[in-house]
Amino acid sequence: MQTFIQLTVDALTLGSVYALVALGYTLVYGVLKLLNFAHGDVFMVGSFVGYGALQALGGPASPVVPVWLLLVLVTLAAMAGCSVLGVAIERFAYRPLRDAPRIAPLISALGVSFFLSNSMQLLFGAEQRDYKSYNLSNGALYFRGFTIDDVKVPLLRIITVLAAVALMVGLWFLVNRTRTGKAMRATSFDREAAAMMGIDIDRVIVFTFVLGSALAGAAGVMFALRVPTFAAIGFTIGLKGFTAAVIGGIGSIPGAMIGGLLLGAAESYTAGYWTTAWSDLVVFTILILFMIFRPQGLLGRADIRKV
Amino acid sequence: MTDSTPHSGQIPADGPAVGQDEWVARHAERRLVRGGRLGTVEERLRGVPWWAWLVLFLAVGSLIPAVESSGYVRRVGFDTVVYMLLALGLNVVVGWGGLLDLGYIAFYGIGSYLYAIFDSDKFGIHLPTIVAVPAITIAGAVVGLLVGLPSRRLSGDYLAIVTLFFLELFETVATNGNQIFGHNITGGANGILEVDPLSFFGHALAVQHQGVFAVSYYYVALAIFAVVFVLLRFVNISRTGRAWRSLREDPLAAEVMGMPVNWLKLLSFATGAAVAALTGTIATALSASVFPLNFSPVVLITIYAMVILGGSGSQPGVVLGAISVSVLLQVLQNPSQARVLFYLALLAALVGVYRRSRELGVVLLATVGLGFAAHAVAHAIDRHWTTVVHGGVGGALSHWVVVPERLDSWVGPVSYVALLCAGLGLTTLRSRLVRSAVLVPTLYLAAFVWENVMLPNPGPTRYIVLGGLLVALMIVRPYGLLGERRVEIV
Amino acid sequence: MKKFIGLAFAVAVASVAAGTASGGHRTTAAATSVSCSKTLKIAIVTPLTGGAAFLGQEQLSWAKLAINQLAPQLGLKIQLLQGDTPVEQGATPAQTLAQKYNADSSVVGIIGPSTSGAAAASSKAYFQAGMAHISPSATRTDLTYSVNGQKEGTPAFFRDVPADNVQGPTDAAFMVNTLHVKKVVIFDFQEPYSQGLASAVDSYLKGHNVSTVRLSAPNTTTDYSSYVTKVPGDADVVFFPTQQPPAAQTFAEQLVEQGKKAVVFGGDGSNAPSQFNKPGSYVSNFAPDITGIKADAGIIAAWKKANPGKQVGSFGPPTYGATQILLNAIKIACTKGHGTLKSRADVLHNMKKVQIKNWILGGSFKFSTKTNDPLNAKFYIFKIQSDGSYKLVG
Repeated sequence: MQTFIQLTVDALTLGSVYALVALGYTLVYGVLKLLNFAHGDVFMVGSFVGYGALQALGGPASPVVPVWLLLVLVTLAAMAGCSVLGVAIERFAYRPLRDAPRIAPLISALGVSFFLSNSMQLLFGAEQRDYKSYNLSNGALYFRGFTIDDVKVPLLRIITVLAAVALMVGLWFLVNRTRTGKAMRATSFDREAAAMMGIDIDRVIVFTFVLGSALAGAAGVMFALRVPTFAAIGFTIGLKGFTAAVIGGIGSIPGAMIGGLLLGAAESYTAGYWTTAWSDLVVFTILILFMIFRPQGLLGRADIRKV
Repeated sequence: MTDSTPHSGQIPADGPAVGQDEWVARHAERRLVRGGRLGTVEERLRGVPWWAWLVLFLAVGSLIPAVESSGYVRRVGFDTVVYMLLALGLNVVVGWGGLLDLGYIAFYGIGSYLYAIFDSDKFGIHLPTIVAVPAITIAGAVVGLLVGLPSRRLSGDYLAIVTLFFLELFETVATNGNQIFGHNITGGANGILEVDPLSFFGHALAVQHQGVFAVSYYYVALAIFAVVFVLLRFVNISRTGRAWRSLREDPLAAEVMGMPVNWLKLLSFATGAAVAALTGTIATALSASVFPLNFSPVVLITIYAMVILGGSGSQPGVVLGAISVSVLLQVLQNPSQARVLFYLALLAALVGVYRRSRELGVVLLATVGLGFAAHAVAHAIDRHWTTVVHGGVGGALSHWVVVPERLDSWVGPVSYVALLCAGLGLTTLRSRLVRSAVLVPTLYLAAFVWENVMLPNPGPTRYIVLGGLLVALMIVRPYGLLGERRVEIV
Repeated sequence: MKKFIGLAFAVAVASVAAGTASGGHRTTAAATSVSCSKTLKIAIVTPLTGGAAFLGQEQLSWAKLAINQLAPQLGLKIQLLQGDTPVEQGATPAQTLAQKYNADSSVVGIIGPSTSGAAAASSKAYFQAGMAHISPSATRTDLTYSVNGQKEGTPAFFRDVPADNVQGPTDAAFMVNTLHVKKVVIFDFQEPYSQGLASAVDSYLKGHNVSTVRLSAPNTTTDYSSYVTKVPGDADVVFFPTQQPPAAQTFAEQLVEQGKKAVVFGGDGSNAPSQFNKPGSYVSNFAPDITGIKADAGIIAAWKKANPGKQVGSFGPPTYGATQILLNAIKIACTKGHGTLKSRADVLHNMKKVQIKNWILGGSFKFSTKTNDPLNAKFYIFKIQSDGSYKLVG
């Protein structure tokens, strides 16, 4: 039972990061029908921006602001940095290709991904960067928290999950309760019809990239608070987020959240209860079978092809 | 497309050519064929049959080792032929079948591992090459069929996802293959070493003589390339090839016309897989070893870059793509060659934008002048801000570009990001005058960043260049260098 | 536009092809003599990009430093070439680079290949061309020793760090004799370095009746939380042979977070006091603390000046040492040949004659007469103190 609770805590922390990354994939896919392979690298840049912000604010051992404010500021800095990056990527790498054959933006995305990860390495080196969050007010983030059945749930994990949930609720509100969100949904449903209804498609797409990239930035910080980050991490995390988006049904926002949590759970329980060496094998076999029998994902709409 | 030159030779990029058919697209292009002598030459060249080009290409290819005995050039030649083969195979799946296969490299891996298992001391099996290579090619096709089976239910992006998962699966099995139910099959992360070289009728082809790459492998690879090229060419003009193309253009219409769509998809999948497996055998025989990391997504992306760059669907295109990417990645490793290439490319880009106009001269002169001025000022302020080396292009440049002896750690990131912003910003400027004015300092900044930040780090730089090239090429020519403009019927 | 691009492209390809052709020298290099007064080239072959780039870049910075400091002292003019072997591309880049350097008669020696796989795949080509290659980090045992009748390295392969068959048993013996462990969790990361060490430790511990738990993490794993959960509550030690010190640090913190009593025991790859400093953990390394060696103070200061803001890791100093050995071998060969090298094999033949008094890793350096390993190399074990400093305990 203890193991189960512990693994569930692991699954939740891991899954909430995956879910945030998956949301970025799903948002962009919804509007542009583009698999944005550069998204993982936006996440990586976010974690680096967060690292820079943390150092600028005095470092983990002696921050110049209270710890809670420090965490908020670092996250906001990463979100802002990633938004700018996302908009730039959209403007210069995807927009010129909006009417090109389907494969062109995909290749362009791969190019952006190569470009970002290697540029980061060129400028800031290839070594791992550790936020050293353990040093924040003498390990409070690790030692405080509550206990369920002898399993300690430390503050850092609680914060990660809560922040992810808050961001997702915010996103849900934005998409479902605001005019811009309505425009996004309309664009995603039928771009041309939306344009004819007077929706500024360019603005909607830019807004989508801002949202997705900001979420990736936040995820980057949350992830790097617990685990070291490095220039080549984008590919791995991108693949995970992408997988999560696919499980949930790419294009569906609640699907991405569920997909992220499911992927986190699958990884965590397989490694915890069964095998570590073969955990990838198990996860990917399940995924392939899943894709064959339910390609549209859990919450995705089955495509009805209009001829 | 932000190219504002009035006589740019493209169909207006204001959207897909809705409702046009292929003839119309061709016609639009035909009208753009240049008149005059150059036009005549081009007409004539187009008239040369494909097999003549192939023979010419093979002749030139087989002459390279004769004039160049360095093992390095031969080895790069061999690696390039391997890439050419892989690109040809991928072209069948992506270019002809129109299926997005992200697991392609796994078939290359399956071919490599099968060869390593059946031709090494690992299990003491040593199949003769004549048996092993065809058998493994067929095995590759069979696995391709099996993996392709899900494609019956899947289309487009979903197929891409499943094949990507298949690649991950393959990597996991290869990496952990040293403990499959207690048996060591793939050697795990340490791979399989001491794999047999190719052998014909009991005569083994040595991989190297005195540490120099044996040229025989290059010729074997070239011969296999020729055979594969011709066979695929025939498939392409056959009934199956035409069916593939119709499948690519519109699967639904193809199905309605009564084509066996599922079978066609499987066939294209299996053909690509067979070519990849075949390539795996010769590559493994040469390197005498196989490791799970040989088949990582980075390699896959490189091959995709080759196919797309050259123009997916066009055989000469993907071959050209493979050659250019492979050679480019090698050249960028060598700073002095990379330097020359960089300034040539910069110059070519300028000529491309300005053509033969007075502005080009003005911009060039201004940049050169700015450089000498900046160099003089920097040298006057602090002698250590400039370094002068002697000899070669680098020596000439060191009087022009400011290269401080020691670079403060902030200079690199700041100048790099500034260059990026300036370069991207340039593409949004409309006024020619402003553009030229901004261009001059940007060019100098580019030279500064190249010499100070990028050249000292050839490792990341070459992938940055490859990445940037992919994006730029997609924007300028989404159909690749030799690809045919396709008309999308909306 | 189309034609222009085609044309520009053809020009570029042609010029590049011409450049490549003229770049490689024409002769089969082994037979050509080189003058020592000219600039000689040595190449470093290491992952400069990709997932292991942190290691390669660190090695590169130390090799550069060694050449800048030592070449003028030895009266040599040396140019350092950079060969990139990203681990994501397997053995092919290492083999292509071997051809490249073999073909260039002014290349007289190689630092690397850094990874054991690359060394195994290219050693033969180097050997046949008479090229000495000395690796500062390829520790797989069968590169210099025959294991199960198989030896992967050639007589031209050298290394200045001891093999896994030294480090693994040293660490395991310390666990048994000093820490009196009952249960040990042993990690590997599905790559050769950690697998070699993990197996060596595993078999030693099993031979001494210690129960072991093997955990194997795919190399794509970023978060080890669920692995921490798998560590039994009664385990004494987690052997965690990562090459990334921050990963060891994170793992140790997560052990504390989940209230496990086990301590982390890292290999030489996690030896970095600034990054892995969880009190109570253990680290083994092939050198006693180099920052404590007086003769090294100048070297470290120079490196820090050239690499502002970077931390001294454990892969750098052996690279400095390997470069030093190679340069000394070149010097000996040049002196014997009266200012010319008949071929690069002269360097190879003099490798074993090199002796270095003030060795960067402490003491003096000499090759073993039996294998191409350092003589009497041993491993040192440190315990991390409550202030994060390393204290030599075995």
